[in-house]
Amino acid sequence: MKLKVGIYWGAACGGCDVAILDTHEKLLDIADKMEIYLWPIAMDFKYDDIRKMEDGYLDVAIYSGAIRSSENEEIAKLLRKKSKVMIALGACAHIGGIPGLANFYTKEEVLKRVYLESESTENKEGVIPRETWNVNEGELELPTFYNTVKTLDQVVDVEYYIPGCPPVPLQIYSALSLIWDDMLPPVGSVIGAGERTLCDDCPRERDEKTITEIKRIQQVLPDPKKCFLEQGLICLGPVTRSGCGSRCIKSGVPCRGCYGQLDEVPDLGIKMLSALASVLEPKEEKEIDALLDTIVDPLRTFHRFSMPASILRRKKV
Amino acid sequence: MKRIEIDPITRLEGHGKITIFLNGEGDVENAYLQIPELRGFEKFVEGLPVEEVPRVVTRICGV
Repeated sequence: MKLKVGIYWGAACGGCDVAILDTHEKLLDIADKMEIYLWPIAMDFKYDDIRKMEDGYLDVAIYSGAIRSSENEEIAKLLRKKSKVMIALGACAHIGGIPGLANFYTKEEVLKRVYLESESTENKEGVIPRETWNVNEGELELPTFYNTVKTLDQVVDVEYYIPGCPPVPLQIYSALSLIWDDMLPPVGSVIGAGERTLCDDCPRERDEKTITEIKRIQQVLPDPKKCFLEQGLICLGPVTRSGCGSRCIKSGVPCRGCYGQLDEVPDLGIKMLSALASVLEPKEEKEIDALLDTIVDPLRTFHRFSMPASILRRKKV
Repeated sequence: MKRIEIDPITRLEGHGKITIFLNGEGDVENAYLQIPELRGFEKFVEGLPVEEVPRVVTRICGV
């Protein structure tokens, strides 16, 4: 019997959905094993179709995207109720992802910039989206826009996590095959990824050199064979979970941590700061501080994908 | 007035909802398209180091 599956996106870009499609001919295999009951990007099912189901009717719900609005949360809770297993797919559902960068601002700051100040927006009346809107024919509703972006497991219980922005298609396939082969690891596990750091997989050479200067990529001609960090370029490889196939590294750009941290690490960004401190040349506190001060935008670099999941959670307001 | 909601609209990148109002004769009186999703890239790319912008804005749409 085919597995009954619902695929959904919260605050997302659709890249995770496309990564499922990018499994190419393996998609035939997926279609053979899974019957899809919801997948907005690809198929025409409505929320009411899910609401009408008995609780636990679906075998698996695959949720990509962060929790950014009451609608994202409502559908996450609906799918949770209707599904036996809930999987967070991709960095946004797993650790907050790029939408989580909004946690450095308040809701009001975001709305003001988008609807009132943006150069490409014409909004003479200064209208900002409201949750209810009266029109001649009746009332229209919009979801509540949250002040703080959340990860999926901050609003519902999640059994498994498939990390990445986007997840590597073949990793998605191997994670899904764990379901139909009935080989799922303990609840709470990250699946479709490695169990060591990206550094352990990295094809670049590392000489254990210490760093005397922190640089920006446009200020140097990076040596394509050498470790980014040893060239003074911030790379989150030492703390990021492996499994991506070193995609960014091989494309000539340092890691920004989309696969999240390993199980035993409580906070990716803080762990990175600690890893960085251990490879700095200066040993005196004053000199260390001076060198660290040269990092441009450290928070949004170390927590590029993980702010909502971090112990910092958001900027204090 | 009768109300028909198409929620979500599908097979596109993004979120959308259509509300259609029918009058007494069953004809469409008015229809509204609403976009219930916003992430706020316009705000959170502000002040980002310029070399980091390409790898952030590529996440506006992944389709």
